[in-house]
Amino acid sequence: MAVRQTELRPLGKSVGRKEDPRFIRGKGRYLDDISLPGMLYMCLVRSPYAHARIKSIDTSAALQAPGVKLVITGEDLAAMNLAWMPTMANDQQMVLATGKVLFQYQEVAAVIAETREQAEDAAQLVYVEYEPLPVVVDPFKALESDAPILREDREQKSNLIFHWEAGDKEATEELFRNAPVVVKQDVRFPRVHPSPLEPCGCIADYNSATGKLTWYVTSQAPHAHRTVLSLVSGLPEHQIRVISPDVGGGFGNKVPVYPGYVCAIVASLKLGKPVKWIETRTENTTSTGFARDYHMTAEIAAEEDGRVLALRVKTIADHGAFDAAADPSKFPAGLFSIVTGSYDFKEAFVEVDGVYTNKAPGGVAYRCSFRVTEAAYLIERVMDVLARRVGVDPAELRRRNFIRKEQFPYKSPTGWTYDSGDYEKTLALALEKIGYEQLRKEQAEKRARGELMGIGISTFTEVVGAGPSHTFDIMGIKMFDSAQIRVHPTGKVIARLGVRHQGQGHETTFAQIIAEELGLSTDDVIVEEGDTDTAPYGLGTYASRSTPTAGGAAALCARRIREKAKKIAAHLLEVGEDDVVFDGVGFSAKGLASRTVTMKDIAFAAYTNVPEGMEPGLEATYYYDPPNLTFPHGAYIAVVDIDKGTGAVKVRRFLAVDDCGTVINPMIVEGQVHGGLTEGFAIAFMQDIPFDEDGNCLATNWMDYLVPTALDTPKWETDRTVTPSPHHPIGAKGVGESPNVGSPAAFVNAVVDALAPLGVEHIDMPIYPWKVWKILREHGVTE
Amino acid sequence: MRTYQGEFAIELPRQTVWEFIMDPHRVGPCVPDLLKLDVESETRFRTLVRVGVGPVRGKFDMMVEVSVIEPQVSAELSVRGGGMGSRVDMKAKVTLGDTESGGTKLDWRCDAAISGPIASLGGRMIDNEARKITEKLFANLREALSSVSEQVAATSAETVEPETTD
Repeated sequence: MAVRQTELRPLGKSVGRKEDPRFIRGKGRYLDDISLPGMLYMCLVRSPYAHARIKSIDTSAALQAPGVKLVITGEDLAAMNLAWMPTMANDQQMVLATGKVLFQYQEVAAVIAETREQAEDAAQLVYVEYEPLPVVVDPFKALESDAPILREDREQKSNLIFHWEAGDKEATEELFRNAPVVVKQDVRFPRVHPSPLEPCGCIADYNSATGKLTWYVTSQAPHAHRTVLSLVSGLPEHQIRVISPDVGGGFGNKVPVYPGYVCAIVASLKLGKPVKWIETRTENTTSTGFARDYHMTAEIAAEEDGRVLALRVKTIADHGAFDAAADPSKFPAGLFSIVTGSYDFKEAFVEVDGVYTNKAPGGVAYRCSFRVTEAAYLIERVMDVLARRVGVDPAELRRRNFIRKEQFPYKSPTGWTYDSGDYEKTLALALEKIGYEQLRKEQAEKRARGELMGIGISTFTEVVGAGPSHTFDIMGIKMFDSAQIRVHPTGKVIARLGVRHQGQGHETTFAQIIAEELGLSTDDVIVEEGDTDTAPYGLGTYASRSTPTAGGAAALCARRIREKAKKIAAHLLEVGEDDVVFDGVGFSAKGLASRTVTMKDIAFAAYTNVPEGMEPGLEATYYYDPPNLTFPHGAYIAVVDIDKGTGAVKVRRFLAVDDCGTVINPMIVEGQVHGGLTEGFAIAFMQDIPFDEDGNCLATNWMDYLVPTALDTPKWETDRTVTPSPHHPIGAKGVGESPNVGSPAAFVNAVVDALAPLGVEHIDMPIYPWKVWKILREHGVTE
Repeated sequence: MRTYQGEFAIELPRQTVWEFIMDPHRVGPCVPDLLKLDVESETRFRTLVRVGVGPVRGKFDMMVEVSVIEPQVSAELSVRGGGMGSRVDMKAKVTLGDTESGGTKLDWRCDAAISGPIASLGGRMIDNEARKITEKLFANLREALSSVSEQVAATSAETVEPETTD
């Protein structure tokens, strides 16, 4: 049950969400709710081919269609030097295709008309003459010497984008040479899509009288988008205002800049009118940032008792036609080197080769800190392979290999410094709560009867909160974050942050942090995000970074205000500053609890009665550059039963025990965990974006790309341990992505465990019933 | 890339069949669901056809080019076009042979590459639909040829009653 927003000392309490009254009543203001006078609509013409030369584009019929104001092609953009735009991964991407197209549904032309219907109809009249070229959809084939070169614009005439390594190769090889046990497993993480409920879109509104561009956009990172836009277009940055209204889910999908955005802006600049573009579901699924698509091979060297020595990982990463992965600049494979996970490996060596193929670009961090999901899935899956090989229970094998509590801060063999953790405690709670031993007994009985039941464990470690400026930047912009707090004379507070929530509950969570620091209640604080004209500069919300970065900024900013408040309190209490104590609700004179002033008294005094020589007012700004990342962890356990007749997997129970350090609002954390688990469940059992050999995308809508409903979704059980981050101002670590990172391995481990009596060691996701059914049939379990 | 094929025999001399399939004015109308036929030359014609696959319905604009591989024996029709953001690239090869009864055997094979939203309907229905369209095309051709043979028969019986087929 949620507590009221008027509660004092709100930190750690399930305060009811400030956002809910508007969202529950359908009063959110999303992009499509915004309508400006004289607004035009844009529709994009997309390529039916995955790889083809463009011989000609004829726009004359479209231009004559009713209501059409403008048609833009790649050539028009080239004349403005906008045919290509930079990606976050230091590559470049075509805005509208020039010369050739490289993936099906690539943007070829933009049609702007008075109504959406007119724009859609006229888009059909843009005649493009294509000459099909050989298509490469398999990243392994893309690396063969006779493969067609996809990116003719690049100097390097190969489909290899990058080769990246981490760890000590020699030392790792040495341990492998002498290891008593070596296991090896190929693991594929399929191409999936974040699929936010609201697709991407924008309204570009250029005012030719003032020269100011207001850009409403579904953005997880409005400030970063403003800077990129300024750098790409040459528009002065102070003449650009980016507004990210309520966002209906982002999940990493609303971090990149998409061609449609640029076209809408160009159209508004040319026509001097607002231009709206909102993509369809199919456009979202087929052309915007996908996630994963990693072909991984992991080897573990271990002792006979299952104690791990070294880890070796080779990965082929399919990035599609342009490397538009959302990664900090120095990390072409993101934070994939967290792949040693929760285990004390002596050495590790990780390699990733990024490859171009004729598929949509992306590789965004879908509820993930840049490839952490792939890493966590891989290590958790392969630890189970090792457990089976050495004949040790998977829970016991994990316990044997955990980094121990006293080893923190722990330096991993790939160079990360884990801040804190207590893996044994979290696993112990999970095993106890699910009744592990009892479940294993039940499983043994069922196996004796020929029934298929499985238990899967995932004890993952996360790396979130990018990040410290010494290592983390995106296109040169350091990845700190910010908060600005202004206390009004009546003690009411407006706070603005550089991040941008998409449903995570920032308006409540950050209000709780600030209220806690200032001795106020949550309803005294309004949190605003998403308008670059008012909010301080920040890098946005993704990768579970808001609480580790902006949450830290909010706490430290509030403490700055408290410092000044203390001086004013001393003045009001007529005592020395050193004699003032703050008890979380008010300031009093030491030893005189009866003489108390509240933050409201102080706020009024800040504008009416400050001590001599003090600057009036009560506000502060804080840019927080975190000293390190934070490392949340968790222990997840799935229990599944498999129907022998159909191969359908039923998730009977699922328990997620998370440790994200200090919890600000348990209800919101639980909500985030529920959502992420539902996504992890979908990834494990339902989702994949396949392509045929011609590069046709075969999952273009929610009929083919399945999104789970309440009917499909298991009941989630959750619990928590708390191991605060030693370096974060309030000890919080961030949790949003943990369930998506940690759960796929638990599901797959459970299914493989159920099928272990048949000799099954691994199944690639998604685990469709027919996949399981085929295995059952091969083993004569079913007809 | 999908492949469809079939064959049929027709009681007409090979020369007659050959002349028929070399004539855009006569082959054009065999295209199923034809809305418009525009013959540009002896070897090129343009068609506008109605297409419907599941939820996708609209018109396809297709350019057909006929090229002779071996006179009186085999020819290739290349069909390129599309609509609704989708594309069809088809190569149909027709081979004629003699039957024992003095008629003509017509073998056809068609390789089709379908791209765009229509192809994304994937295994669900596009395969059946494409097969249906192709088979209908050759069924129509067969029917049209049959009417020719009927006309030939009718002409030889000196009763002039040309039948129309559509």
